[in-house]
Amino acid sequence: MLVQELNALQKRFGYLPADELKELSRRLGVPLHRLHEVASFFPHFKLKKGADVEVLVCRDVSCCLRGAEPLRQGLKALANEIDPTGKSVHVDGVSCLGQCDHAPAVLINDQVYYGLTEPQLRSRIHSAVARDPLPHQRADRSPQGWKIDPYGGTPRYEAVQKLVATRDPASGALLGIDALLESLKESTLRGMGGARFPTHIKWAAVRSQQSDTKYVVCNGDESEPGTFKDRELLRRAPHLLVEGMVLAGLTAGATKGYIYIRHEYHEEIEAVEEAIRDARSRGACGDDIFGSGLSFPVEVFVSPGGYICGEESALLEAMEDRRAEPRNKPPFPTVKGLFNQPTIINNVETLMWTPAIYLNGGAWYRDQGVNGGQGLWFCSISGDVRDPGVYEVPFGITVRDLVYRRAGGMAGGQRLKAIAPSGPSGGFLPTLIPRNALPKTFVEKYLPEGGAFFDILDLPLDPDVLRGMEGMLGAAFVAVGEQADLVALALNLTEFFRNESCGKCVPCRIGSQKLVEMLRALKAGQLDREHLDLASSLGQTMILTSICGLGQVAPNPLLSLVKYFPDDVDAYLDRRGGPPVREFSAFETMV
Amino acid sequence: MSSANGNGAPPVSLTIDGRKVSVPAGTTIYDAATRAFVKQAGDRNPIPILCHREHMTPVAVCRVCTVDVSVNGRQEFRLAPACQREVAEGMEVRTHETSDRVRNAVSMLTELLLADYPDPEAARAARLTKQGQSRGEGNDELIELAERLGVENPRFSRSRREKPIDESSMVIAVDHNACILCDRCIRACNDIRNNHVIGRTGKGYKTRIAFDLDDPMGDSSCVACGECMISCPTGALLSKHHVLSRPPAGTVPAEELAAHPLFTGVSKAFLDFNEGAVVRKHFRKGDVICREGDYDATAYYIEDGEVEIFISSPFKHVKNHRGAGSWNPFALVRNSLLAGRGEDRRDEEMDTEFISIDAPVVLRYDKPVATMGPGAIFGEMACMSSYPRSATVVAQTDCTLLEVGRNVLYILQRGKFSKAQLDERYRQNALDNHLRGATVFARMVKNEDEFKKLVEFLRPRVDLVRVNNGEVIFRQGDPADAYYLIRIGFVKVSQERPGGEFVLTYFGPGKSFGEIGLMGHIPEIRDLAPPGIRTATCTALDHVDLVKIKGEDFRLLLEQFPSVQKSFIDYAITILKQNERMLRQVNEDSLGDFLQQGLMNAQSVLVLDLEKCTRCDECTKACADSHGGVTRLIREGLRFDRFLVASSCRSCLDPYCMVGCPVNSIRRRGSLEIIIEDWCIGCGKCAENCPYGNINMHPFPTGQNVFDEELRRKVPVLQQKATTCDLCRELDGQPSCVYACPHDAAHRMKGSDLAREIGIVATPPPVR
Repeated sequence: MLVQELNALQKRFGYLPADELKELSRRLGVPLHRLHEVASFFPHFKLKKGADVEVLVCRDVSCCLRGAEPLRQGLKALANEIDPTGKSVHVDGVSCLGQCDHAPAVLINDQVYYGLTEPQLRSRIHSAVARDPLPHQRADRSPQGWKIDPYGGTPRYEAVQKLVATRDPASGALLGIDALLESLKESTLRGMGGARFPTHIKWAAVRSQQSDTKYVVCNGDESEPGTFKDRELLRRAPHLLVEGMVLAGLTAGATKGYIYIRHEYHEEIEAVEEAIRDARSRGACGDDIFGSGLSFPVEVFVSPGGYICGEESALLEAMEDRRAEPRNKPPFPTVKGLFNQPTIINNVETLMWTPAIYLNGGAWYRDQGVNGGQGLWFCSISGDVRDPGVYEVPFGITVRDLVYRRAGGMAGGQRLKAIAPSGPSGGFLPTLIPRNALPKTFVEKYLPEGGAFFDILDLPLDPDVLRGMEGMLGAAFVAVGEQADLVALALNLTEFFRNESCGKCVPCRIGSQKLVEMLRALKAGQLDREHLDLASSLGQTMILTSICGLGQVAPNPLLSLVKYFPDDVDAYLDRRGGPPVREFSAFETMV
Repeated sequence: MSSANGNGAPPVSLTIDGRKVSVPAGTTIYDAATRAFVKQAGDRNPIPILCHREHMTPVAVCRVCTVDVSVNGRQEFRLAPACQREVAEGMEVRTHETSDRVRNAVSMLTELLLADYPDPEAARAARLTKQGQSRGEGNDELIELAERLGVENPRFSRSRREKPIDESSMVIAVDHNACILCDRCIRACNDIRNNHVIGRTGKGYKTRIAFDLDDPMGDSSCVACGECMISCPTGALLSKHHVLSRPPAGTVPAEELAAHPLFTGVSKAFLDFNEGAVVRKHFRKGDVICREGDYDATAYYIEDGEVEIFISSPFKHVKNHRGAGSWNPFALVRNSLLAGRGEDRRDEEMDTEFISIDAPVVLRYDKPVATMGPGAIFGEMACMSSYPRSATVVAQTDCTLLEVGRNVLYILQRGKFSKAQLDERYRQNALDNHLRGATVFARMVKNEDEFKKLVEFLRPRVDLVRVNNGEVIFRQGDPADAYYLIRIGFVKVSQERPGGEFVLTYFGPGKSFGEIGLMGHIPEIRDLAPPGIRTATCTALDHVDLVKIKGEDFRLLLEQFPSVQKSFIDYAITILKQNERMLRQVNEDSLGDFLQQGLMNAQSVLVLDLEKCTRCDECTKACADSHGGVTRLIREGLRFDRFLVASSCRSCLDPYCMVGCPVNSIRRRGSLEIIIEDWCIGCGKCAENCPYGNINMHPFPTGQNVFDEELRRKVPVLQQKATTCDLCRELDGQPSCVYACPHDAAHRMKGSDLAREIGIVATPPPVR
């Protein structure tokens, strides 16, 4: 309600004028500070009138590896040429736009552009200054022959039909729910957002809650640098998401479903809204699903923006018109979710696998894993590879297979130096991991007798294997070539977390800032060993005490740098002794 | 604040640093630790807190209350915030005192906060010159925490540029550099005071607190209540002392108060901000400390010496008096005099042996004097709700008292330790007096031994609870679980009826309520009221302090004291029957306006037939003649058809006049007629409250004389008393106003009869 009202104001005035906010406060009976809290939290809202043309260049890892920083400097120079006062064109950085496979990505007055050259972007900026309409960059929506889609791109909603067919006319109960949950259990399907919580347990938990109102929320706020698989899934197979939502809704006995999508995904929002309309016209969602008398309406909620909204409880806060600040847990959303009601929150991909699993059986999905892995997943691969993109791969696929077979090998003939198997949140792994840096159980299982190193190319990409080596497997896979400066990258990733921290809890709010300062000092050759150790123990405190995943993973880039790349760190360490140089600490404006 | 419900759920056992404790389900770890470790003032909870306060909803943002949690031997990987995490059976909690990883984490968090905190020395020096004040050493909770944990100079360097201090507010300076975003001011402003001014602006490291649309504090809608300032654990919100007026003479310095046992646990920042709200006064023997009827909204704490408390107004009520020995009905010499109940017995008042006043003592009706000594607090109701003084206090010896303002008394009652002290003081010193003043216990008092037993029985079983203005104590239809005695303040008793709320009565200090729902097991009551269910809604009209006796204890009380049981049964039956009668009447004729104006229940309204009335005003004159020259009626009022209802007491359905009488001397009879008891102290509160202006204050001679220095002669001592229409009876049995009307235009009738006369209700068929 509030978010939508603010959106409308921003659309009308280009920003949120104070007088309009006061009027809104009177009209809604909401105190001014509540409006300001929300408006000042989401970078999408502007509290002051900005430049006529706003150009935002992605500043995160994949775009940085593909020259985003020089591009930003070039566009800044252009802005200065056009109008030195900055009133006409304003160029700035922005957090990951989810176009890592077409890096670098740029926003011009809210239009997303990707994979364009600097001259192409310059001409777009000139058109914007001349107030000419900006062209949309259309993306392909055709189906890709993925196994996830049992219908080959033509929506048929057979899974929903199969489920409602089990309705017992006497009691009205769906007798097929137990079988559906059983097939999910057999499939081993776990949360594809990265937390890997078993899907059948979550659904059953909400199902067992006694409440008149329950919700299903799809988390489509994909914002982690290097992650863009949901973008492809949303655009190319939105019908599967609608179907998965309906299956979840009917299973849990939920009253309403929301698909929460980041606002920069214009095309994906459009595709999903179309799919919802289509499903409704086919009787697959909305009222009286396939004549069963059961209903489950689904609608899109456009996110006001920010990586933190991908944290499930922060997402719920945003939907409830508050600052997207994560809640303390427990209680978990399955018990107290949206508006304090039991809520299933699943990632886009998780929901989209459920129709095929229900139709084909759990074993069908489970048995497609390789090298001990179970099931399939969509991997976004970006960075220094020849063919970045989204691939449907089995769990357990080796790094070698993924990088050299699927993604066409390293770009420009570089050698692989490091991988980030979970985007920034998992930190980096080197190509050769020394035996002593690995846990004993992992060594016993994967290292040959007497082997001094583990070759990362042999690593099966499976969540359990990664956890066994104290790492994590997310949906983002970033390959880093030998030319990259890992200290600079670690700084870049840490800056991302600092920029996206909501500021609610002390360890994350202040800790992420201090980590950035110390990494910046390291990069400037001004950090000594003692302070590097301090940074590591700060990282431990952040892991143990932060409220949510963001603060808990924010130190991972630094910790993995220290753990696996001692030579890179050594090259920068300050060895002069004496008191540390303090200049690095000056707080620089973010953004 | 714990979300403990405790209803039926079995208690949860856990250990904290090896100490076993058992608490209701839903309690937080922090509250459980308080239960386990804090037994008396000065004891410390091993878990430190910054963003949490007992009276606030936990937000768990500072994380310094972090603890290590194992449940059934399984250690959780991450640390849990003790202020928010609820206990679980078999939980093993380790605080920073016994766990290294907790200690490291808490120290690291403190170091992080200190790193960006203004250098305490420099900041203090800067502020001393800038504002002429400082928060004072040892009262900055962050610095205190750092000292407690042994965290010294932070190894991190300072991140942010020095930000300006917002000094736009008249009373509070905002220093964002010292803000740790603990959210306490925000909850103070929005949740506690409901002012809705403070929020946060921005995101991440750049987040700040902000007023309205991030306006300067002085330009925002802030009302400068100071709650944010006293909630702030650091120097981010400081009082700008220099703009306040100079504190009065005798002001006790904040440093001294902080060390005073009465103020244990009260924030020093609060005492600083309220400097001047506690004044030490010395009185010589015989000095008057306060006078009944005065409005001076402070409470007193006796530090030293003894005082005498009494009602100096004569215990008499206003009585009409025909000229002495007169036989000639046409030569009436009419007069009003004050009569005591010996001379003029009034029904229902003979039971009253004690009068409740705004002090921890009660006054005997026949000898209304008591003494109080060191440690006593009196005048709480005058202080909290601005009621007039209920009695006069005179120094019996030379004595020293602390005069305390409202803010300070409020915080004393809110602070954990200070409230515990006040409660204990009540239990030990005031409980028996309070019970003596309670009408239902009146019969018990006659048997002193049994009364003592009663007091001993109740002493460990009473809880003091506070209810704020407008809060519901319980609702009609709720399950009954406790019995309440009012210590200070006023409570409205009402029932939901079709068409709105119907006020049954108002209760003040010394009254009690809630017994009926607890007496369902008694046969006499069972038939009259639904057992175990509240029959009415009770709401606090102002600041109300209640003494709560749990349902099971109350029933035990009835069981062990048969005479109390008898007294309660009689009382409950009277009340229930009276309510039933009133409700029947209301149901019979429910008539909107007529009802709202209090006319329906009026027992005898003066109605003037305007078609006959010549406006000669004889009625008013007659009333004045009958009542010492002062009329109690005014020939103005509401018109219904051709009738004018003159202003005189209507015995309203909602007798608001009863609210606020500091000595409970105005009350309703069973017949609904309002009467004023003879211990009226003439403060005028009821006259002020009557919405129709029908209670008048009149001075009456007391029969005593004093020598007036200025006039150099003796003058009679006058006493103000409240008067309302007393339905005086003339020779023909009619009130004088009716008797005097030469045109047959004045009539006295019941409100319901008037309603029939003007045709808004049908005349009931005659009863055969």
